[in-house]
Amino acid sequence: MRIPSFAASAALTLLFSSTAFAASDSDIQAMKAEIQAMRQTYESRIAELESKLSKIESQKPAGQQAAATAPVSARKPARTIRDNSFNPSVGLILNGKYSGFSGDSSEFAGFAIGEEGERGKQGFGIDESEFNFSSNVDDKFYGSVTAAIVREAGEDKIELEEAFIQTLPGMGLPKGMNVKAGRALWTLGYLNEHHSHTDDFADRPLPYRVFLNSAFNDDGVEVSYVLPTNFYSEIGGGGFRGDDTPFGGASGGGFDAWSAFARIGGDIGDNQSWRLGGYTLSGDAGGRAGNGETVNFTGDTSLYAADLRYTWAPTGNPRAQEVMLQGEYFWRSEDGTYEDFAAGTGAAGFDDNARGWYAQGVYKFLPQWRIGYRYSRLITPDVPLGLLGSALDAGGYNPDAHAVMADWTNSEFSRVRLQYNHEELTRGRNDDQILLQYIMSIGAHGAHKY
Amino acid sequence: MHRMLPALFFLGLMTAVPLSAQAKLNLFACEPEWAALARELGGDDVEIFTATTPRQDPHHVRAKPSLIAAMRRADLVICTGASLEVGWLPILLQKAGNANTQPGGAGLLLAAELVPLLEKPVRLDRAEGDIHPEGNPHVHLNPHNIALIAQALTDRLKTVDAANANAYQARFDVFSQKWCDATQRWEQEAAGLKGAAIVVHHKAFSYLLAWLGIQEAGVLEPKPGIPPSASHLEALLQKLTLSPARLIVRTPYDPADASQWLSQKTGAPAIVLPFTVGGDAAGGDLFALFERSIALLKGDGRD
Repeated sequence: MRIPSFAASAALTLLFSSTAFAASDSDIQAMKAEIQAMRQTYESRIAELESKLSKIESQKPAGQQAAATAPVSARKPARTIRDNSFNPSVGLILNGKYSGFSGDSSEFAGFAIGEEGERGKQGFGIDESEFNFSSNVDDKFYGSVTAAIVREAGEDKIELEEAFIQTLPGMGLPKGMNVKAGRALWTLGYLNEHHSHTDDFADRPLPYRVFLNSAFNDDGVEVSYVLPTNFYSEIGGGGFRGDDTPFGGASGGGFDAWSAFARIGGDIGDNQSWRLGGYTLSGDAGGRAGNGETVNFTGDTSLYAADLRYTWAPTGNPRAQEVMLQGEYFWRSEDGTYEDFAAGTGAAGFDDNARGWYAQGVYKFLPQWRIGYRYSRLITPDVPLGLLGSALDAGGYNPDAHAVMADWTNSEFSRVRLQYNHEELTRGRNDDQILLQYIMSIGAHGAHKY
Repeated sequence: MHRMLPALFFLGLMTAVPLSAQAKLNLFACEPEWAALARELGGDDVEIFTATTPRQDPHHVRAKPSLIAAMRRADLVICTGASLEVGWLPILLQKAGNANTQPGGAGLLLAAELVPLLEKPVRLDRAEGDIHPEGNPHVHLNPHNIALIAQALTDRLKTVDAANANAYQARFDVFSQKWCDATQRWEQEAAGLKGAAIVVHHKAFSYLLAWLGIQEAGVLEPKPGIPPSASHLEALLQKLTLSPARLIVRTPYDPADASQWLSQKTGAPAIVLPFTVGGDAAGGDLFALFERSIALLKGDGRD
């Protein structure tokens, strides 16, 4: 009888709180619905248990009856209240890589890049080890923190990749709308909003390394809205501090950068899905350092991107076999001044654009085995006279890179990958790379985006 | 000011979005069996979207764009729960931003929460494979579970769409009578299967076997979700030589190779059970699912 009395007291509490807040008709309806749902759940559970009990009693010989009922009374729930019952979900990503390079440097012709855009370190080493904590804050907010421990310049440092809050539908925003604030891997192209441990290759493609220093995760606010259409369509936009690549040296006067995006997607039959998106990100770079602080850019920078992803399960079951095609295109327009301290150019005016793209295909031919190929290419800008001979002077060369990979996924939580890269980032300087990587996840492991 | 333009464009689009009115109740079913149950109880009053096909393994589905759009439209969602959809449902619920279908509300019904679960793991450790802390989630293959879930779904339909409450109740009354009769008939038909030993590919049929009193003689997967390995199959073969199994069964989405290898070695036929509504060429409804499954287990209509 404990359960019905609990239901009754819950109902009373609800009734009292509803009068106290002078609830509207819809609130009362919702509460009635909830009470009804609760009652039904308990009633059906009790009915089921009673029928089971009578069945067992009728089946068992008399001697066994006592034995069958004894554990039931012994299993009385112990009421323990512990401080950690509301602990957030905790997940860890362990990541290690052996890298062998034939070339001695990986400088990009025509670009000054950030530290995370450089190729990894040679030899064996651990990559970013990620910690994630996430939980609903209350009925209106969700919070998540992802910190990575990375080794930079011989020291282990904590890098806060994400620390954001997000509205829950209980917030009462229009249906389909979400607001996210803090630091996050923002909506831009396909890979940017994914943590690198979910990538299909051991490193990011060239345009991500050059234009985004791996990923754009500035401090900011983003609103997104899934439109009420029969197919998937979503629009959104955000405002950002302007501290992370492609920006840098924020003025601190509010939002130095703005973004907007639109996406559509759907299915073709039962076995094929696709998504297409367009994105803009533009703002002020108050001082963006590149190539280890030897190059500085100040001015307006605008990035436009488009992405397409297509998945196909040839047998109808993506668990068994799947083909994944994906491509992204970036176009960056910059108007400001560049200065290459190493080349001693002095501040030189720059107003031009650069482009970059990649396309990749991954084929899962067995439930645990996948192979993939990726091609990425950059189209360098023409440099003004003042920057001739600087790091930005590509001499008309356009860097490109090929990558081939094979990986083995033992379970959702572990993957081992072998990858071969052939990069020619500066004319005539070939770099052949072998990467052997493991990615393991322990603890809570959230669902992955499409 | 030009940098504010994207934001202004965005605001403009937001206000231009038309509000669409839906006449029918939109129901989102994670798996075909729940779509079939909703069809029995909802009839013409509901518009049903099924997120997965019988060919897809419901553990491993992507949070596809089409599913986000459907979740946003939904007034009522019925899924299995017990972590079966843990890899995709949370993303859909978050992304769709639909207050009607959030956990704990009337708009989200999880079938596994309504029935007693089998095989609750004693040891929670990922070294045990893809185990579900709540227990085995494939609850729909016991008709007694379907009866309980039908009752709960009817109550939810009546709550969410009160205007049609009488119609839902009337359909439930008809369905539950028919279902009760059918269940008794199936139990009589399958009486001969009691005690039979059957090998399964994945523990997808535990509720069916428990209901019919069939013994599980072995599992092709060494651990839940881990594909069959040569050494495990070899060990299983040794075991089956001592005490033979009558059948080797798998779902439409399990790969055939392991079953067929074992079938050749042991002589026990390897068959595909429909597992869910529409899981074999005959198709049909929930009644057909059970009729066909029992016929296949008994050896009728098998090739």
